[in-house]
Amino acid sequence: MTMKLVHIWLLLLVVLLCGKKHLGDRLEKKSFEKAPCPGCSHLTLKVEFSSTVVEYEYIVAFNGYFTAKARNSFISSALKSSAIDNWRIIPRNNPSSDYPSDFEVIQIKEKQKAGLLTLEDHPNIKRVTPQRKVFRSLKYTECANVRVAVFDTGLSEKHPHFKNVKERTNWTNERTLDDGLGHGTFVAGVIASMRECQGFAPDAELHIFRVFTNNQVSYTSWFLDAFNYAILKKIDVLNLSIGGPDFMDHPFVDKVWELTANNVIMVSAIGNDGPLYGTLNNPADQMDVIGVGGIDFEDNIARFSSRGMTTWELPGGYGRVKPDIVTYGAGVRGSGVKGGCRALSGTSVASPVVAGAVTLLVSTVQRRELVNPASMKQALIAAARRLPGVNMFEQGHGKLDLLRAYQILSSYKPQASLSPSYIDLTECPYMWPYCSQPIYYGGMPTIVNVTILNGMGVTGRIVDKPEWQPYLPQNGDSIEVAFSYSSVLWPWSGYLAISISVTKQAASWEGVAQGHVTVTVASPAEVDSNSGAEQTSTVKLPIKVKIIPAPPRSKRVLWDQYHNLRYPPGYFPRDNLRMKNDPLDWNGDHIHTNFRDMYQHLRSMGYFVEVLGSPFTCFDASQYGTLLMVDSEEEYFPEEVAKLRRDVGNGLSLIVFSDWYNTSVMRKVKFYDENTRQWWMPDTGGANIPALNELLSVWNMGFSDGLYEGDFTLANHDMYYASGCSIAKFPEDGIVITQTFKDQGLEVLKQEAAVVENVPILGLYQIPTEGGGRIVLYGDSNCLDDSHRQKDCFWLLDALLQFTSYGVTPPSLSHSGARQRPPSGARSVAPERMEGNHLHRYSKVLEARLGGPEPRALPACPHLSWAKPQPLNETAPSNLWKHQKLLSIDLDKVVLPSFRPNRPQVRPLSPGESGAWDIPGGIMPGRYNQEVGQTIPVFAFLGAMVVLAFFVVQINKAKSRPKRRKPRVKRPQLVQQVHPPKAPSV
Amino acid sequence: MVNLAAMVWRRLLRKRWVLALVFGLSLVYFLTSTFKQEERAVRDRNLLQVHDHDQPIPWKVQFNLGNSSRPSNQCRNSIQGKHLITDELGYVCERKDLLVNGCCNVNVPGTKQYCCDGCLSNGCCSAYEYCVSCCLQPNKQLLLERFLNRAAVAFQNLFMAVEDHFELCLAKCRTSSQSVQHENTYRDPIAKYCYGESPPELFPA
Repeated sequence: MTMKLVHIWLLLLVVLLCGKKHLGDRLEKKSFEKAPCPGCSHLTLKVEFSSTVVEYEYIVAFNGYFTAKARNSFISSALKSSAIDNWRIIPRNNPSSDYPSDFEVIQIKEKQKAGLLTLEDHPNIKRVTPQRKVFRSLKYTECANVRVAVFDTGLSEKHPHFKNVKERTNWTNERTLDDGLGHGTFVAGVIASMRECQGFAPDAELHIFRVFTNNQVSYTSWFLDAFNYAILKKIDVLNLSIGGPDFMDHPFVDKVWELTANNVIMVSAIGNDGPLYGTLNNPADQMDVIGVGGIDFEDNIARFSSRGMTTWELPGGYGRVKPDIVTYGAGVRGSGVKGGCRALSGTSVASPVVAGAVTLLVSTVQRRELVNPASMKQALIAAARRLPGVNMFEQGHGKLDLLRAYQILSSYKPQASLSPSYIDLTECPYMWPYCSQPIYYGGMPTIVNVTILNGMGVTGRIVDKPEWQPYLPQNGDSIEVAFSYSSVLWPWSGYLAISISVTKQAASWEGVAQGHVTVTVASPAEVDSNSGAEQTSTVKLPIKVKIIPAPPRSKRVLWDQYHNLRYPPGYFPRDNLRMKNDPLDWNGDHIHTNFRDMYQHLRSMGYFVEVLGSPFTCFDASQYGTLLMVDSEEEYFPEEVAKLRRDVGNGLSLIVFSDWYNTSVMRKVKFYDENTRQWWMPDTGGANIPALNELLSVWNMGFSDGLYEGDFTLANHDMYYASGCSIAKFPEDGIVITQTFKDQGLEVLKQEAAVVENVPILGLYQIPTEGGGRIVLYGDSNCLDDSHRQKDCFWLLDALLQFTSYGVTPPSLSHSGARQRPPSGARSVAPERMEGNHLHRYSKVLEARLGGPEPRALPACPHLSWAKPQPLNETAPSNLWKHQKLLSIDLDKVVLPSFRPNRPQVRPLSPGESGAWDIPGGIMPGRYNQEVGQTIPVFAFLGAMVVLAFFVVQINKAKSRPKRRKPRVKRPQLVQQVHPPKAPSV
Repeated sequence: MVNLAAMVWRRLLRKRWVLALVFGLSLVYFLTSTFKQEERAVRDRNLLQVHDHDQPIPWKVQFNLGNSSRPSNQCRNSIQGKHLITDELGYVCERKDLLVNGCCNVNVPGTKQYCCDGCLSNGCCSAYEYCVSCCLQPNKQLLLERFLNRAAVAFQNLFMAVEDHFELCLAKCRTSSQSVQHENTYRDPIAKYCYGESPPELFPA
C-alpha cells in the first residue's frame, strides 16, 4: 500500500518539478515533452494532453456568482423563450456546490444551435462553450546515476524487479551473492523495485553489498572492508537496515564517520526494541546518520520502534534526540526473494523507505554539490510532519514528507541548523520528559543536548562562544545557562549541550522564563566558491522554561546515575537471569530510559526526581530527602563512602534496590560472543554487592550472595522476585521482611530445585542519632525496571518513600506476618569480588595497578561556567514551535493488519522480518544460528526416528489391544503468552 | 475402496522390512545431506587457495610519477579530514589552506609533501592524511606493488577497483578488517592507518 502512496508521491513530485507551468490551462489537442529539467540532465518527463468535445454538453458561464437556484432560473427562462424542453443541468457534487458559482454545465439534446444562441442572449449569461473531456498522461523517468548501496543479505542475480543493479559484492565467508533470507531483496525492493510493488527509485544505480550470511552472521571486520569499497565507489546513499547496542565499537563507529565524511548519506534503522526506552541502535544513533523509526499506517509509532534518548552521554550528560524521523514500518510491501511481493514490519523496512526517498531527492537536486549528509538530514527534518501526542524521543521530528523535503532542498542554501530547533520545556507531550518536571533553584541543572547539523562543510566550528540572550520582559534573567559543545563539528555535525538552572533571585518565584541562544557556525570555504573566505551561519535557539519555588526536601528524590554501569562496553548481565535472550543490561538505567515508568509514577505521586551524574561528593545532601540507588554496578571512592555516612547522619535517607551477585553464577553465565569472537565473563553480578556492602558496612548492614526467585504476596500486593539477593545482616532494631523463595543459584548451577524459607528481602532502619536519616534495603531491582518487568512494585517504593521522607513506617510492612528478626550476618557469607574480573576497565572509580585494581584519585566535581547573559528587551511568542505550512496533503489512511514485534540482537544485528523465524535474538547470534544451521539435519533425523518409533508402537498396540481414546489434557492459554515469540531483527 | 487402501497400508506398515526401508532411506538422506555440506565448505576453501597461488590478479593500478600526466590543474584530495587534508600530489595541509582547485596551497609554511609524521617503521601512522601522503612517496611504489601481488582475496574487490597510486593510497590507509582484534577493538588504537604490508602491531591489552 505504501508503494502505491509512494507512487502517487512520485507522480506529484515530478509534476511539481517539471510540469508546473504546463498543467491544466490549455485544452487543445497537444502533446509536449518537457525534458530535461534545468540542470538535471537525466530527468525526463512527458506530459501529454488530449481533449475531445463532449456531445450535447455545454458550459454556461455567467457574469457573476449566483446560487444554484438563481442559475437554474436564468437558464430555464432563457431556454423557455426558444421552447427547448429536452435539457437538464448536470449536477456537480463537490464541496463548492453549496456556494455561488459563475458557471453551470448543461445538457441539451435538441435544437442545440438555437438553444445556445438564446442562452447567450440572456443578460446574466456571459458565454456558452462546449464541454470538453481532457486526458492528461504523465510519464516520468527520474534521474538515474544516484548510487545507492544496500548493505544486507544480498540479492539474486536476475531478480525481475530490478533493472539497474550495477554491482553485487560479497563480504561474508559464504561464497554466494544471492539472498537466502529475503531481507536484502525486500530492502532493495523498497528502494528500487520497478514492478509489482514499486520502490521509490527504480532507475537508481543499485550496489548490493552482501554483509550477512544466510545464518545471519556478520562481523565488524566485514563491514569495515565493505564500507571502504563503498567509499571508493563514491556511493551517494547507503541503507543500513541493521543495528546493535554497541556504540563503543570504535572501529565501526569511526568507519561510519569516515563514510559520511566522504559524502555518503547514511540511512539506518533505529532498532526494533521498543516500546522500551533506551533501546536505540547504533549506527542510527549517530549524529551524522539519518536514524529512522517506524510508524503504522494510522500514524501511531510502531510498538517495535526503538526509542528514548541516546545513552552515550551518560552518566554526566544527557542523551540526544533520536530517531531523526519516522516513516511507515509496519506491513510495508516489498519484493520477495524470487519475485512477487510480501509485507514486512520492522524499522528495517522503515529505513529503506527513507533511503528510497533520499535517493529520489538527490536525483532532483540541480546542484549536486549541495547534497551532503547534513543538508539531506536538515531537509528531511525540516519537512517532517509532527505526529500529535508523541514525544520527541519517540518520533524525532515527525513523519517523513517527501514533497516538502523536495521543496526545501530545491531552494537550499548551505547553513547550520539545530535539532531540536527550540527548547520549550513547558511543551507537553512533545518535550517529554522536560515538560514533566518544572525546574527550581538548587536543583541539578537540566541538560538539553542539541545536535548541530552543518550543511556548509564536513568540518566546522563554533565561532567564539554561543551567546545567551534572556528576554527581560519574559523573566529571562531568572535562569542561568551554560554550554558545552564540540570543539570541531565533524563529520557534518556536533553537539551543543545546554545546562539550564534557576538563579538565586528566583528561588521562591513561580513563572515562565524565556530567552534565546545564538550560535554561529563557521566552515572553510567551499571548493567551488570564489571568495575563499570562511562561510558562516548563525542560528537562534529559543528557550522557554517553567520555574517553581524549590520543593521541600522531603519531596526531592535524587537518582544515582553515576554508579550505574551498562553494556557497552563491559558485560554487565541482565538483572533477571531468566531473560536469556537479552543477557545484557544495555538500556542506560536512567529515569528517562528503562526506569521511565518508575519516574512517571514518582512524578504522579508528587516527588521531584533529579539525576546525579557525578560522585556522591558532588551534591548538597541537605537539599534531598532520599537518595535512590537502584542496581548499582560501580565501585565507590573512599571519599564518597565517608561523605554518604555523614550525609545519612545528617538526615539524608537512602533506598537501595540491589540485585544478585554470586561468583559461581557469574562464571556460569559467561558465554562465547560470536561478534567479538571471545569469551565474555560478567564483570559484576546484577549489582555490585561487594561494593555496596562496603558502603553499608558502617550501619552493620549487608547483602548476601544468595540468588532467589519466586512469586509472593506482600501487603496484599502480588510481587515477583526475579533473581534477587537476600539481606545478610541488618541492625537488631530494624524491620526485616522475609519470604519463601526458590534457590535460583542452585537451579542455575546444578539444575536442582530447592525452596528456601525466611529469606530476608526487605529491611527498614532508622538511624538512632538525633536528626539521622533512614535506610531501606531491598534485594531485587527488577520490579522497578521497565525491561522484562513482570510485576511492578511502585506501591512498595511509595511506602518506602513515605518511610524515608516522612518517617512513617508503613503498617502493612511493620505489622506484616512476614516480619522476622533481623539477620545478624553470622549464617550467610558476604560475597567477595570475583577474582580476575575486569571491572576496572570500565569503571570510573577503579584503575589497574600492580597487585590489583585500586580507586583512582577522586575526580573534580563538574563545574558549569554560566554564560554571561546579554539581556534583550524582547518578547517571544508563547508557542515556540513554528512549522512551515507550505503544503497540505492528506495521505489516504490505510488500515493494515497488525505487525509482530521483533527482537534485537547485539550488532551486527541480524536482519529480520515479522514472524518469519522463531529464532530468539541473543548475544551470540552467530553461534546460536550456526548451531541451528548445523543441527537441522540432526533434528530431521531424530524426528524421523520418533515418527518411526511411534508407528511401530501404534501398530503393535493396534495388534494387541482394542482402540482406546485418551482424553486430551487442556492446556492453559496463558503459558504460551508469557514468552512471546521472538524473531531476530532490525 | 478407501477401507481397502487403509488396510493394505496398515498391513504394509506392519511389515518389518518396510519400516527398515523407511529408516534406511532417512538415514541415507541424513548422512548425504550433512556430508555434502561439509564437502562444499572444504571445496570452497580449496578454491580460495588455488586462486591465491596460480592466478595473478590483474591489477589495473597505474603508478603515474610526477604531475605531467594529470589532465588539469585540479586536484583530487582526501575529502574526509577533520583538520588535515592530503591532495593527490602528496601535499598535506590544513583544511583552511586548501585551494579552490582542491590542491593544497604549497606556499603556506605548514604544507608538506610526502610527509610521514606519526608513521612507524611498520608502515602504520597515527593520522590518515599523513599515511596517504607518506604512501604517495615515489619510493613506496615497490612496497605497494608487492602488497598488491599478495593481497588477500578479501581485498580483491577493493584493490581491483583502484585505478592509480592516489586511489590506492586512499584505500590502503583506511582502517580495515586487518586493523581490528576481537572485531570491536583496534589492534593499535593509535597507529591504525597503514600503507605497509603488515597489520598494526597488536597493542597490549
